[in-house]
Amino acid sequence: MTLSSFLTNLLYGITIGSAYTLIASGLSIVFGVMGVLNFAHGSFVMLGAYTGMTIMNLTGNFWLSLTLAPLAIALLGGIVEKSMVSRLYGKDIPSTLFLTFGLSMVFSNAVLLIWGGSHYSIQLPAYFKGFINLGGIYYPKFRLFVLIFSCVLVAVLWLFLSRSRWGLPIRAGLFDLETVEAFGIDIYKVFSVLFIICSGLAAVAGVIIGSMRSINPMMDLDLITIALIVIVIGGLGSFKGALVGSLVLGLAEAFGAQAMPGFAKFTTWVIMALVLLLRPKGLFSER
Amino acid sequence: MADTQEGRRGFGTRRLVEAAILAALLLLPLGSGRLFSDFYIALCLRIMIFGVLMLGFDLLAGYCGLVSFGHAMFFGTGAYVAAVTWKYFSDSMWIGMLLGLGLNAVIGYVLGLLVVRTRTVYFIFLTFAFSQFFFVTANSWRLIGGTDGLTGIPAPTLLPGISLGERIPFYYFTVALLVAAYLVARRIVNSHFGRLLRGIHQNEERVKFLGYNSPLMIRRVFLISGLFGSVSGTLMACFQPFVPPDYYHLSMSGEFVMMGLLGGMGTLVGPLAGTAIVIFLGDFLSSWLKEAWMLCLGAMYVICILFSPEGLTKIVSNLSATGLLARLFGRKGPQGQGS
Repeated sequence: MTLSSFLTNLLYGITIGSAYTLIASGLSIVFGVMGVLNFAHGSFVMLGAYTGMTIMNLTGNFWLSLTLAPLAIALLGGIVEKSMVSRLYGKDIPSTLFLTFGLSMVFSNAVLLIWGGSHYSIQLPAYFKGFINLGGIYYPKFRLFVLIFSCVLVAVLWLFLSRSRWGLPIRAGLFDLETVEAFGIDIYKVFSVLFIICSGLAAVAGVIIGSMRSINPMMDLDLITIALIVIVIGGLGSFKGALVGSLVLGLAEAFGAQAMPGFAKFTTWVIMALVLLLRPKGLFSER
Repeated sequence: MADTQEGRRGFGTRRLVEAAILAALLLLPLGSGRLFSDFYIALCLRIMIFGVLMLGFDLLAGYCGLVSFGHAMFFGTGAYVAAVTWKYFSDSMWIGMLLGLGLNAVIGYVLGLLVVRTRTVYFIFLTFAFSQFFFVTANSWRLIGGTDGLTGIPAPTLLPGISLGERIPFYYFTVALLVAAYLVARRIVNSHFGRLLRGIHQNEERVKFLGYNSPLMIRRVFLISGLFGSVSGTLMACFQPFVPPDYYHLSMSGEFVMMGLLGGMGTLVGPLAGTAIVIFLGDFLSSWLKEAWMLCLGAMYVICILFSPEGLTKIVSNLSATGLLARLFGRKGPQGQGS
């Protein structure tokens, strides 16, 4: 492997990893704060991709699809939270997983009914096509955009959690829900807002991933398994863990595909099983 | 969810229901071709085949409280081993089944040593991860068909001269195995070991405190429930002479969880009912709603979890006159919170 191909792989791994962070951090936050293991999180990514594609086909404006699709999915997330997920707050975690597993089944079949089973992809505008020269490495322009955009979004999310007025009850709720409620904060409103933000973020990732790879009715399972591996490696409920885990997985994907084609997925499962056995609560567990 | 009242209240009724179902199963082929088409026999066979697995699944998930999200690994291994045996080595049903059981016992033993270290969600994740190993392997291993799966599996023979490729012998063979599996599961549930499993579900610390080796119990029930899955997979390879890697897929494991939850776990009869509901309704809905049936099934499952987490059999058993009255007047029955 030459140095330039190594650097290209490295950059690609970080790019994919940053897109995964958008998915995994949402999954991790929803789990850490509300104790809900949202299997339908992958469906939000998929629905975001399909909605983004439809908006792109209708308007031809990429920025419109990057903003409107997440808004639509955030609304859907809000409805799902209010009508179903909120009923399971305080129940055991497996039952939230089973509920959202059923939801993901509903969503993936709804997608099959609306868009059919074929593979699509979002057509990028002309200025995102082609390569850019980064000191000798030719890197696709859009991937560079994805890298920067995801990093900015993750940074904003981190600032929101750590610095904003909303962040405090969220972080406090991680440790002690009852105390937060005793301070007169409507924790359930915080939950709703958080769930909406996380489903919106998932949809952003959906539009991005849908522009880089194919959009198909199986992508929800692929992505939710990736996100689950990420948060298991990082530690359920840990934001930092989701970040590190995503990078590990992105890099494993970028390099593993070259080192052992066909068995690339195997490595990620081995990593997950090892982490579960050696440090069952993940590398950066907070809960 | 341990049914301690089961013995007092529902024992007589249960015996009656069991006998009625067995009689119906035994008599069903007589009407085939005259009263209804052969299609219903095939439907019934699928229910019974998955029923064997669900009995084992219930021992682990319902009684011991450890939900496996990777039970497809036993099912798939049972199917693949039997298929490879019949295709390349021998046409005996028994050899295929025993080899499947053997390999699954090894898998159940080794993975049991590992999964026993985790509980609840982490148990779900770990079983899920391990079943993905099998899926990825079956998907990439050319020798067993890779993505296309193993095709052209010859029908095995039960005894020299009795081919299980024929519907009727296979049907009665499956009935016999289901009954055997049910009796074994019932026996386990009623045994001392079964009581310990329920104890682990309710409060593992207390079971340990009483001097029992609870990890050993969990490893045992994990292995046993895997063996049920193995038999089920072997039967499936005989029913459908085609073994795809999808037998290892996550959606397969998810379906088992769904069947169990729909029917009501920790009752043995519940998961069987859940299997029947999912498969029967699946066939019925898919002919009626075409492609939207999975959506309806998913929606039904979601509703079930939200409004009746105990499963449908619990609703039915609560539908006695007093239960109905209590329900009408808004008084909740003495429901335990599970674990």
